[in-house]
Amino acid sequence: MVENKSFANVVMLRKLLFFTLVMFVFGYALVPFYEKFCEVTGINNLLQPDVQAKEIRVDESRWITVEFDANTRGLPWQFKPLQTSARIHPGEPVNVMYEITNNSDREINGQAIPSYSPRFLDKHLKKFECFCFTKQVLKPNETRQMPVQFVIEPGLPQDIQTVTISYTFFELPDGTAAAVKR
Amino acid sequence: MSNSPADKNHVSVWQIAKAVLSAFMGIRKKSDLEHDAATLKPAHVIIGGIIGGLLFVIGVFSVVKLVIN
Amino acid sequence: MAAVHGDAHGHEHDDHHPSGIMRWITTTNHKDIGTMYLWFSFAMFLVGGTLAMGIRAELYQPGIQILEPELFNQFTTLHGLIMVFGAIMPAFVGFANWQVPMMIGAPDMAFARMNNWSFWLLPVAATLLVGSFFVPGGAAAGGWTFYPPLSTQGGLGVDLMIFSVHILGASSIMGSINIITTILNMRAPGMTMMKMPLFVWTWLITAYLLVLVMPVLAGVVTMLLTDRHFGTSFFNAAGGGDPVMFQHIFWFFGHPEVYIMILPSFGIVSEVIPTFSRKPLFGYSSMVYATASIAILSCVVWAHHMFTAGMPTVGQLFFMYATMLIAVPTGVKVFNWTATMWRGSMSFETPMLFSIGFIFLFVIGGFSGVICAIVPIDIQVQDTYYVIAHFHYVLVSGSLFALFAGAYYWIPKWTGRMYNETLGKWHFWLSMFFFNMTFFVQHFLGLAGMPRRIPDYNLQFADFNMISSLGAFGFGLTQLLFLYIMINCIRSGDKAPQKPWDGATTLEWTHLPTPAPYHSFEKPPIVK
Ligand code: HEM
Ligand SMILES: [Cu+2]
Repeated sequence: MVENKSFANVVMLRKLLFFTLVMFVFGYALVPFYEKFCEVTGINNLLQPDVQAKEIRVDESRWITVEFDANTRGLPWQFKPLQTSARIHPGEPVNVMYEITNNSDREINGQAIPSYSPRFLDKHLKKFECFCFTKQVLKPNETRQMPVQFVIEPGLPQDIQTVTISYTFFELPDGTAAAVKR
Repeated sequence: MSNSPADKNHVSVWQIAKAVLSAFMGIRKKSDLEHDAATLKPAHVIIGGIIGGLLFVIGVFSVVKLVIN
Repeated sequence: MAAVHGDAHGHEHDDHHPSGIMRWITTTNHKDIGTMYLWFSFAMFLVGGTLAMGIRAELYQPGIQILEPELFNQFTTLHGLIMVFGAIMPAFVGFANWQVPMMIGAPDMAFARMNNWSFWLLPVAATLLVGSFFVPGGAAAGGWTFYPPLSTQGGLGVDLMIFSVHILGASSIMGSINIITTILNMRAPGMTMMKMPLFVWTWLITAYLLVLVMPVLAGVVTMLLTDRHFGTSFFNAAGGGDPVMFQHIFWFFGHPEVYIMILPSFGIVSEVIPTFSRKPLFGYSSMVYATASIAILSCVVWAHHMFTAGMPTVGQLFFMYATMLIAVPTGVKVFNWTATMWRGSMSFETPMLFSIGFIFLFVIGGFSGVICAIVPIDIQVQDTYYVIAHFHYVLVSGSLFALFAGAYYWIPKWTGRMYNETLGKWHFWLSMFFFNMTFFVQHFLGLAGMPRRIPDYNLQFADFNMISSLGAFGFGLTQLLFLYIMINCIRSGDKAPQKPWDGATTLEWTHLPTPAPYHSFEKPPIVK
């Protein structure tokens, strides 16, 4: 009787430990699941170029101010846009230049990550060219100018007059591929 | 749990569904419950519960879709 | 019962247990371990409470007076972590250790050695957590939810926190495995599942929830650790990771976790209310069913914590509807308790007072939860004091009040002595008064826009903050009264009869003498 009971307990213990392990793996499995989910629903493709639509209507009746912002996080680079803002019509293609300088005496890989204000701007922003699509490798003291080319679609809600496009450069550890191809 | 095979055969999908549904609302008659306890096996209820959970998710999701359109 | 020791059965751990400190270190007795859990959690409650006093002292007036912002952030972070993982959760495990075997007629927990081990992990984890205040850079300061990027940037304190969460998680998982096995395999003959007291049922379901989501928490803190030190990029945007994903995984654990902290207190209240109403629990079976379904459904509502983190409208609506629907089975429980009291011959001893206080205030917390679940409102109140008010109404006047109710209810059985009823009533009424003074006004602060986790605030918030701080000091002091009552009871309380509550019907009251003997139910009782 006692024997039986403790045997049953051990069987139970094994089952529950197995279940614990399954849930631990499940936690990790959420990562690819999350990525797939975002990819399929198109929620999170910040770092992919958009396809150039044939014909975007330019809404000449409306002006939007686009502010450009640049930051670095934890790497000795200087990073700035060559113009701080632009006044544009929705639908009109825009070209801006950014400049980065490596102030250190070692080669550094960097990756820029965009962020937008208002947050839903990404739904109305089509980006065809950007330095954030790949990693940037700068030799010691190298300076580089890089373009961003985009269109803000006329669908942007009427009450928005100013938007901000911001980039932050992070250092990529050696040997890491560009962020896109993780 | 019980080992008389005779009354186990009476478990219908409908009975499990009723048990799970009433659980989601939190209301169950005592007599029904005793019947459940006598006839339902834990596996029935767990599988029923998971399916019920899925249906709940699908249901709410459909309502959301409906509202948005 | 064999109160005099002697019947020689070949037991591994017989009555010749070591004495002094070694008794406690080596014990495998569920009652000893339960006692240690309870004292440990009370000690952590005092530590977390001290941090809270620091927070409220700083917020007493606008401006920075006592705590520098960096230290203030460490205080809020560790207050949350210590209260959740150090005070509330271990206290419930302590109750489970004492009560579950006695309530189902089992001699001990299923795995007695593992039980000892899962307790002794706790002081280790607590030392890491509290010790992190003294390492260079101080303790973790990114909030108890440790979102990246703050948690991928902090110093050694964050690493210590991560380890301590690992250890606490391991301890909870071992504890739950033990509880599940005990409940499923060790019931006395005749104790069918549907005869189990509700406290046992709620703990069974809680334990399942724990093994379901604790490993996920362990996984997510491991990801944080590898992001910090081993070059992975789960949450690091530069490496292609996504900090928002952390929030999803964390809250996939986090929302079930809040139910882990409330279900056992539903169990305690469901024991206390019938006893002092002298009526069986109304709708026992509904309660069991509702608890089980709350557990399942709590896994599909997590993103209501993230309405402002960026989410498609479909997602917002889904989580809003799902959250509001899950409040239904919770509401049904409140009706059941009320119906139990209806026409009962009620008496109002301290455990009953705390249980009624629980129902009353938990309902307020539940309603403010539903209000937070409404997306357009939550976009306003997210990260404000409104949320703080919500979860203190469900955690302090919910979980903690239920713990007090349980402590007063069972202390006669545990110690063989009665607590001082007059002081107990004082403890209740003072707690009730100061609790509401502290937290009710925080609803107003939150609606007016005062953000949480910030050491300073605008002048317009000054009056309510002063009221809240005064209430908090009062609440803190009142809990020292609880300590006094308990020590007084253990040392010199009046002798308690076997069944001091005449409405009690569970096995520990009907089948065991008072105080409960060190080894109980070595021969299982027959339950009819
Ligand atoms: C009626 C059921 C409940 C509903 C509808 C509900 C809803 C919510 C919502 C929507 C939030 C997010 C608010 C925000 O961050 O803007 C929240 C936060 C919270 N709830 Fe509840 N809740 C309920 C019950 C509970 C219970 C029973 C507990 C714990 C015992 C709890 C603990 C918490 C905690 C700790 C937070 C804040 C987490 C944080 O951001 O630090 N809730 N609740
Ligand atoms: Cu939640």
